Amino acid sequence: MQLTYLEAIRQGIWEEMEQDPTVFCLGEDIGIYGGAFKVTDGFIDRFGPERVIDTPIAESAIVGAAFGASLTGMRPVAEFQFMDFIGCAFNQISNMVAKTHYLWGAPAPLVLRGPSGGYVHGGPFHSQNPEMWFVHNPGLKVICPATPYDAKGLMKAAIRDSNPCIFFEHKYLYRRIKGEVPAEDYVVPIGKANIVREGRDLSIITYAAMVHTALEAAEVLKSDGIEIEILDLRTVSPLDREAIAATVKKTNKVIILHEHSRTGGLAGEIAAIINEEAFDHLDGPIVRIAGLDSAIPFSPPQEEHYLPQIGDVVREARRLKAY
Amino acid sequence: MSIKKTKSLTKQHSNGRSRNGSPPGAKTLANSDLRTYSIPDYRLEHPDLTVRQAIEKDKDGTERVRYEVGGNLDAPVPPIRDSKYLTKRQAVEIYRYMLLNRKMEVALENLYKQGKVVGGVYFGLGQEACSCASAYALGKDDWFAPMIRNQGALLVRGFGASDTMMQYMAKAGSPTKGRDGTSHFGDIEKRNMVSPISMLGDLIPVLSGVTLGARLQGRNIAALTWIGDGGQSTGVTYEGINFAAVQNLGLVLVVESNLWAYSTPSEMQYRVRDLAERAIGYGMPGVIVDGTDACQVYDAARDAVERAHRGEGPTLIEAKMMRMKGHAIHDAAAYVPKPMFEFWKKRDPIARFENHLVKEKKWLTAKENTELIAEIERVIEAEREIAVNSPMPTPESAEGGVFCEEGCHEIKPKYGMPKEKKGTRAGYKQTEAAVHLK
Repeated sequence: MQLTYLEAIRQGIWEEMEQDPTVFCLGEDIGIYGGAFKVTDGFIDRFGPERVIDTPIAESAIVGAAFGASLTGMRPVAEFQFMDFIGCAFNQISNMVAKTHYLWGAPAPLVLRGPSGGYVHGGPFHSQNPEMWFVHNPGLKVICPATPYDAKGLMKAAIRDSNPCIFFEHKYLYRRIKGEVPAEDYVVPIGKANIVREGRDLSIITYAAMVHTALEAAEVLKSDGIEIEILDLRTVSPLDREAIAATVKKTNKVIILHEHSRTGGLAGEIAAIINEEAFDHLDGPIVRIAGLDSAIPFSPPQEEHYLPQIGDVVREARRLKAY
Repeated sequence: MSIKKTKSLTKQHSNGRSRNGSPPGAKTLANSDLRTYSIPDYRLEHPDLTVRQAIEKDKDGTERVRYEVGGNLDAPVPPIRDSKYLTKRQAVEIYRYMLLNRKMEVALENLYKQGKVVGGVYFGLGQEACSCASAYALGKDDWFAPMIRNQGALLVRGFGASDTMMQYMAKAGSPTKGRDGTSHFGDIEKRNMVSPISMLGDLIPVLSGVTLGARLQGRNIAALTWIGDGGQSTGVTYEGINFAAVQNLGLVLVVESNLWAYSTPSEMQYRVRDLAERAIGYGMPGVIVDGTDACQVYDAARDAVERAHRGEGPTLIEAKMMRMKGHAIHDAAAYVPKPMFEFWKKRDPIARFENHLVKEKKWLTAKENTELIAEIERVIEAEREIAVNSPMPTPESAEGGVFCEEGCHEIKPKYGMPKEKKGTRAGYKQTEAAVHLK
């Protein structure tokens, strides 16, 4: 069945709520309104207001309450209206939720989910990709799917996981892409990357909306005779070190592509992993394509300049191929 | 250094205004326009002490800013209020926990002086009635999460003194196996305790969430936590209490007004006269008790716990007392005007409860009391032995346990599988709605 990325996420949560009465949702405007992006549209009718809870505008309370409920064996799925607002709950996530199992052995099976990402002219407070704030927080699983299939399978895996999972849904993809999603129950394992395009000349390691940018760039580069391999990380914490090393060992040249700012970004961490796992296999410098080191600007020409574009990938790939 | 002359920096309080919240020159309203709210105050005295910043001059003329205290420092010490609920056995049991609480902290101070403690030691001196009597009001299936001055609550809920001692000594046998110190540990299996973190106020939404989880499983439980007059200034405190109020959750929040937040007096922390008044703003009941009176604390906590069990929602209890030591062992609290210590020392919760039990109620003979104190000393010594003899953790034990791996914990609803409440039985259909951003 062909589903949009949003519908796949929605279906994933719906199915988990149907089969497990300990799963419930909480967040701002998720009930009768169905959420700002309608991910929980119709949920309150099916599951009732006890399991689809409209909360005050209080992100720390949402995360704290989800965590508390998880300690009693519930599996809360908490929505952030935009992932930009996750900063409001940072202390709850970083100091309360993430450290709980390591410090005192209490599992916290909760999912914090919401829309992130640019290309929608949302401006500096509705376009961010704040995943790195949490990649640097041991104890959290950070998930960033790129396709409807992965989005549904990873959502189910996150809800069933015994650990706190932060699930970044790329809002540019919500209704723009469709993909085949099987009718039967399945999960996509957390922490496993996926080769979405095989190629011999160079690898692009990326995730979320940038997978599609990389795929389009690869089509352009194909006409130049450059065969691109694309590794979709799917989960950015924990990272799939083996898959990263394997693709570098195969193509010997690598571009790391992400939307968020370059400095302190995921590319730096991946470059370090390549250094540790596959240094001898490199035939060229590790190339980073990333957002600018600024806030993400509002005006479309500025946003376009800030964010990586297909042309950037094509240009850098040609340069690296020629190295 | 002798003080030659003092002058006040401000006319009234350090924040420059009286603490009644009403603006100067408020218009008189017709009676029908006035709303009234009640904040029951169970105290038998209402200390009128105020702290303000003042300039003191040394002998050599150097001017320094100090805190000074005003008000009636010679007010008579109030008696303990008779409890509405406590039986003889229960009252003596609370007294025993309070003694255990204090003796444990004396032992911790000694362990610190012997160089056996890693880091500092935090004390609840003067707050034992508040910690112990409130925790004593909880039922078996209720939850709690202590703040740093509620080490007595851990004893009431069944942890050994050695657990806390081993935490302070960073021992392998400590509840966190050395990974955290102080009262920072928890137990979701037996004793229903959420581990505190050092940031203030964050436990409030968590405890609210615990009661939400239980309610979804068909049980109304109470969840007790404490917050200081300093801690209540944080934003998450507001978020957490408001969430509990809106969702009608069984949160029992004891606001420990202990007058000093590290070195900052409560006058510089908030403007309302009593923090219990905040309850009005949340739309929930608020009461004031004397935090040095175990009977008042117990009665208020029990009423709040029973409200929670009936599913009637949260309660805010303000307990007034004073932190009788510095913030932690390194802090001599030299900033606190000495007469304040003297005033509150006369209101010691243990000495007054002892007098209440032995002389007023005659629920404990002098001999029984002496035996009880000796028994506590023996218990603490035995617990101390356990703690001291626990080894330090191996360096490698820093590794692992970041995630709950396959099979390390079974996740299951603690109070039973939630019964599905049928919604409209609306089936799944795809959403076609407009989105926030194109």
